[in-house]
Amino acid sequence: MKILITGAGGFLGKVIVERLLQHGETDLRAMVRDTSKAEGLRDIASRYPGANIEIVAVNLRHPAEILPVVQGCDVVIHAAAALKGSAAEMFMDSVVASRNLLDAIVQVSGIRVVLVSSFGVFGVAVLDRFALVDERTPLEDRPQNRDIYSYSKLRQEQLFWEYRAKHPFELVVLRPGVIYGPGGGHFSTRVGLNLFGVFVHLGGSNALPLTYVDNCAEAIVVAALNPATDGQVYNVIDDELLTASQYLRQYKKQVKPMRSIPVPFVVMMQLSRLVERYSTRSKGQLPAIFTPYKTRVMWGGNRFSNAKLKSIGWQPIISTKDALAATFAAFRAEPPKLK
Amino acid sequence: MTQEQELRVGIVGCGKIADGHAEVLNFLPGAKLVAVCDREILLAEQLAVRFGVTRWYDDLAAMLAAENLDVVHITTPPAVHLALTRQCVEAGAHVFLEKPLTLTAPESAELIATVEEHGRKMSINYWPNFDPPAMHFKQLLAEGTIGDVVHVEAFIGYDLSGAYGQALMGDPSHWVNRLPGKLFQNMMDHIFNRIVPLFPAGDPEVHAYAYKRRPAMMGNATDELLDELRVVMKSGTVSAYGTLCSHARPVANTMKVYGTKNTVEVDFNLRTVIVAKSQSYPSAIGRLVPPFQMASQFLAAGRRNLVAFRRNEFQFFAGMSTLLELFYAAIRTGGPLPIPYEEILSVARVMDDVIGQVYPNKGGAA
Repeated sequence: MKILITGAGGFLGKVIVERLLQHGETDLRAMVRDTSKAEGLRDIASRYPGANIEIVAVNLRHPAEILPVVQGCDVVIHAAAALKGSAAEMFMDSVVASRNLLDAIVQVSGIRVVLVSSFGVFGVAVLDRFALVDERTPLEDRPQNRDIYSYSKLRQEQLFWEYRAKHPFELVVLRPGVIYGPGGGHFSTRVGLNLFGVFVHLGGSNALPLTYVDNCAEAIVVAALNPATDGQVYNVIDDELLTASQYLRQYKKQVKPMRSIPVPFVVMMQLSRLVERYSTRSKGQLPAIFTPYKTRVMWGGNRFSNAKLKSIGWQPIISTKDALAATFAAFRAEPPKLK
Repeated sequence: MTQEQELRVGIVGCGKIADGHAEVLNFLPGAKLVAVCDREILLAEQLAVRFGVTRWYDDLAAMLAAENLDVVHITTPPAVHLALTRQCVEAGAHVFLEKPLTLTAPESAELIATVEEHGRKMSINYWPNFDPPAMHFKQLLAEGTIGDVVHVEAFIGYDLSGAYGQALMGDPSHWVNRLPGKLFQNMMDHIFNRIVPLFPAGDPEVHAYAYKRRPAMMGNATDELLDELRVVMKSGTVSAYGTLCSHARPVANTMKVYGTKNTVEVDFNLRTVIVAKSQSYPSAIGRLVPPFQMASQFLAAGRRNLVAFRRNEFQFFAGMSTLLELFYAAIRTGGPLPIPYEEILSVARVMDDVIGQVYPNKGGAA
């Protein structure tokens, strides 16, 4: 069975490749945008001399490059997505790129598609605080009120369902929470924000929907290889979730001491109302970086469940305690930033 | 068309700069963004959804037929500006274009002629020239504070690792890399559109020199991109230096005009306008006092900016709002355009001259 992984040079993509190999898959095609980002993949390949790992450079903005790479594959795991850039660029690299990929996929029969979506697609602003978020939670219906990453991931997932409704291919969607691990970001916005050199702790005692990058990749591989998952969606979060303040406390102890200012949710809501009102009144003189809508989404707090994911046989391969220890050790070893 | 009538505006080309246009239109009285268009429908959709526009298209002809637009903002790469302009003016719409206007000066002349043949109006997004400091400078010039212009220096900094820089350095097929004048062609409007209005009529003498300062070789088409440009110009009795600089920090954006009476320095980033005057104090006093005089001018500039901020006139694209207000007023009343066509064409001719000198083998087309 030949498996294509897009975004294979990325933070998550590399680990997906490794987990596939661990599950005994030996015929992989790893797609990267730029072969200069494929060093990590070559390291992995060197550790599995018996496997056939083909590294291909494709820009998903260019439709003509895609079909030859999709041909001959039985499974496509789509992990490529834009994490930064302008709105147009993020849409190009997440949504337009996905449409181009789908256009190629539907020309080849019998491909099973696995999409790495995001928790960002949920419409949690309208939920009560601390409501349970699971696979039945409705999707965002006001994406214009959200950040561009969430909007692009939502539109991307919708596109996959739209194509599946019209074309006969199998589709399974995974929605990871906050993916963390060595080489990843230090703080999810759900914990707080660095504003003018001070860390503003906004997450309070909200549960963080964390998933360690290896556990997340394992979930993607388990779902990809299980034929019973067609048409299903799985939220990906680990067991033993930490709260935002627990994460911050451990970070300060194990990575580096830092100053933080806790701002309670009700205060942040009030502040967001002021920012939004001022932004409108001043004709956009200062951008509405905080709005009550975004604040409810990010810091309102929810409960999470991974029961559905466990029902297909997924188990975290690393406990949250060990995963955090490994992550914090890697953070400690990072060279200080130049800027 | 009456003064009160709200203009129906459309945007074609939903890339990064279209966000700036949509933001400005969001708050501009007397105009409403009613539809957007991009041949990539998903890009049109995202712009529309984020700015509350209810209709989006992947075909300009369809948008023009359905929307009865008064003005179309053309925010695509320049290679298609002429064709899109023709479509818009034939459908009765005025056009507002992103810079550069087209790929060559003759093509720009054809574009303006096409607009005029159809009895429509056009303008180009030379927005920094309508920012508060630029408007202040124009006032000083009109009042005679500067006297006759002797020499002009226009300096534009560029950050190759910034948001726009990364987009073109990371993609050898980016449209900027396909322009005959590459990065310079996309940026140097803002150098010459400051200098040209201060020159007497007629084309200036232009001597351009460019080189590549960055050492990194990517092994692709981006390696051809030169990143430092120096231009010396003269027209009549006025001379000028134009600089596009990708490596000096901070990434500056300034103009200095040396006049027979006084010299004025405009900083577009800091939004300050400072007048250097001849000293009348004798001896050491004449060296002690001037820094305090300059300090008081900076203080005054800071105060002016604060007042503008309090009046909600301190947006990033404040200049685009002013320019559009003037352009839309010209559409409504038939009054004078904010940027004379001859000025736009003169800038285009200087750019052709520069490109011919620094990329001599590129010819005139992408």
